[in-house]
Amino acid sequence: MSNPSVITHDVIVVGAGLAGTWAAMIAGEQGVDVGVISKVHPLRSHSGAAQGGIAAALGNVRPVPNTGPDGPLEQVPPDAEPYDSWELHMFDTIKGSDWLGDQDAIEIMVKDAIEIVYEYEHMGCVFSRTPDGRVAQRRFGGHSTPRACYSADWTGHVLLHTIHEQALKHGVRFYSEWYALDVIVEDNVCKGIVALDILTGQVVLMRAKAVMFATGGYGRAWKITSNALANTGDGVAIAYNAGVPLMDMEFVQFHPTGVYGHGILLSEACRGEGGYLLNSKGERFMERYAPGKMELAPRDLVSRSEQTEIDEGRGVGPDKQGIWLDLRHLGREKILERLPQVREIALNFSGVDVIDELAPIQPTAHYSMGGIPATVDGQVIADAQSTPVVGLYAAGECACISVHGANRLGTNSLLDASVFGRRAGYAMAAFVKGGARLQPVESDAVARNEARITRLMSDAPAGKGESWSQIAAELKSTMTDNAGIFRDDARLRQALSDIRRLQERFQGVRIMDHSRRFNTDLLGALETEHLLTFSEVVVVSALARTESRGAHYRTDYAKRDDEHWLKHTMAHKSPDGPVLSFKDVNINWEKYPPQERKY
Amino acid sequence: MSDNGSPLTITVRIQRFNPDVDRKLYLQDFKVAWQQGMTILDALHTIKAEQDGSLTFRRSCRHAICGSCAMNVNGRNMLVCEQPIKAHLNRKNEITIRPLPYLPIIKDLVVDRTTFWAQYMRVKPWLIPPENIPEKEFRMSPEEVAALQDAEHCIMCGACYSACTVVGTTKEYIGPHALLKAFLRVMDVRDSAPGERLADIAGSDGVYRCHTIFNCIDACPKHLNPTRAIETLRKLAQKRLAFEAARAERQKHLDKPVTSG
Repeated sequence: MSNPSVITHDVIVVGAGLAGTWAAMIAGEQGVDVGVISKVHPLRSHSGAAQGGIAAALGNVRPVPNTGPDGPLEQVPPDAEPYDSWELHMFDTIKGSDWLGDQDAIEIMVKDAIEIVYEYEHMGCVFSRTPDGRVAQRRFGGHSTPRACYSADWTGHVLLHTIHEQALKHGVRFYSEWYALDVIVEDNVCKGIVALDILTGQVVLMRAKAVMFATGGYGRAWKITSNALANTGDGVAIAYNAGVPLMDMEFVQFHPTGVYGHGILLSEACRGEGGYLLNSKGERFMERYAPGKMELAPRDLVSRSEQTEIDEGRGVGPDKQGIWLDLRHLGREKILERLPQVREIALNFSGVDVIDELAPIQPTAHYSMGGIPATVDGQVIADAQSTPVVGLYAAGECACISVHGANRLGTNSLLDASVFGRRAGYAMAAFVKGGARLQPVESDAVARNEARITRLMSDAPAGKGESWSQIAAELKSTMTDNAGIFRDDARLRQALSDIRRLQERFQGVRIMDHSRRFNTDLLGALETEHLLTFSEVVVVSALARTESRGAHYRTDYAKRDDEHWLKHTMAHKSPDGPVLSFKDVNINWEKYPPQERKY
Repeated sequence: MSDNGSPLTITVRIQRFNPDVDRKLYLQDFKVAWQQGMTILDALHTIKAEQDGSLTFRRSCRHAICGSCAMNVNGRNMLVCEQPIKAHLNRKNEITIRPLPYLPIIKDLVVDRTTFWAQYMRVKPWLIPPENIPEKEFRMSPEEVAALQDAEHCIMCGACYSACTVVGTTKEYIGPHALLKAFLRVMDVRDSAPGERLADIAGSDGVYRCHTIFNCIDACPKHLNPTRAIETLRKLAQKRLAFEAARAERQKHLDKPVTSG
């Protein structure tokens, strides 16, 4: 069971969801030696939980002419005009982002979308089909055409399995159940990582010419979240601690349909297939907030509308904190064919059958628009001038490229992870083949992380000793109450002081499990430390941004302010907390100038 | 609260074992205050947070899609995240949780799945596409997708594998999870090596080892039917050449529209 304490690869990827596995597969295919570490088995990665679809302007499906926005869809006849285009997908994404998305990056994503969906299909991904055998597509929020390619409501699962199989085919080496503790960046050059082999408890130095972070989102800092228990923002926190800035961390998407009380996702496909949202009076309240798009307005807007209904006393459920999701009119057949997983989840967690009952839902922390700033080739940057951190790459939800800006459209995340994971794979292969060398590691990173673990496992000073789960619970409470869907100066200041107090208390954390073998108590403590690290950045960034844009809504600054805030937030670590600087947004002023965002 | 309104305390009996310190397995009882909506996973988390941080188990997504948390509850394999605990209490309000059977224990409820993944690799889980790749998608009818019988929904949780008594006697057996993956590839009109695959799984460690005891069907949390898939593979293995020829014929038209319905 023992491992050498130093492991070397050309490329090390941290995280084995779609972004990490795409990168590893491509680099492997290019003949580069790749190792992937993942805190869970790769097939347990949270990409697999995505349900509704992956966006691409294939134009396979269109609404039946002369039917309304809820009307039926049909396959586009072979001789008909194309129904969709990457330009339209681009505009929808820019508008969805509330103009904070970088338009050069968005253009690459929506163009690559078409190719990457066909590539998945050629690799064996099982998509739902049109009658003539093309990839089927459905409607999704904020998209002006039926653009979501899907496999029932298991899309992320089938994509993840498909790409994992391909990586195995290309001989990628997976280190399953290994946890990243640190990244070694010296003089702006990345030299490797420090990792924990969870099985043995051994701390290992992993040296590489290129390191990529694909560690997923940071939704676990909120009480009600759709995120897996593993989504503790490790990569984001580790990069920040190593001096890498974090970008746009204040933008956290709340998804409108989490299972009431649990937060588990009920796919947006529910509404894409025609589901309604109802308040306690039985009203389709979206009529008041987005009459043009109704339930298929973008997520930030729908979640705010739900929260407003709840706050004004029109919520449902025992404590009036929920909203009804109504799928009954879709009928048994359509629900069983298109939304089988949704039905099962509602049965198991709410005890309702959506075929003939209403399902209670509530907004749930879902997607992290912010993260590690990176170029369209996954190259991590060190500042607003885009100085590269040599040898360090990032893609997927942990990265901020930024294609989603202030609010992501549904089905653009599987796309983002795939497109930019693949591009990072090519970029790293080129970097390695271009003569990159292993760099000598100067620091005592291994010893530092050993000490971190030793402290957590040591006996607490008499009568002291905090539990990490208690600290994590208190953090989630304050983030939910004070840095959630609606924010203001006073609440954010409260959150900040709570976080700093919890950070101090964390120094007293001790764990109960003193065995090195598969120590999940230790993991819980390390993850909690990461939650505390990035949450501070979220709140400081949110405090600074005195406007409302996309998912960041300030009740004390309720308007978007392009004059002052059409820019990305960059946060660097300092002894006094995050230091902010700002980076321009890439905008094509002739084609896509900022407009009022109305649905 | 229990049904009559008084607080309900339940007993969660868990098999413990840390090979570094324990000489043998033992059962340990934990008392937990039941709460409305509590899943088995919630109870494990409560115990870990409040009583014994060393209690070790895998989990991640909380809604039966990642496949981490398959365990043996009162003798049956299941994903503990999606199970309300109350449905599994006996008359004394007790529940017994053990790791998946037939697999080496790493610690408490965490098992070593090395053989499970080795068999998955053995069947070459990836698609082997034909040489001519169309510019757009391979055309595949909704009926051809339906013929895959949702095998692509398998989450590789291992519940079927460790419920299989054949696996209990020999780890040489490919196992229901990997045979279901083989079925997925064999049945997919885009796969160009069904003959090779059928030849491989028709050996003594493959489809003929299945004793059709149906434990895998009972255990599958995704309601899949590995036994039926294995039956189908057996039949196809017997007419392998004809099946291969039919596939080659079908693949000549993979770039053409299909008619369905």
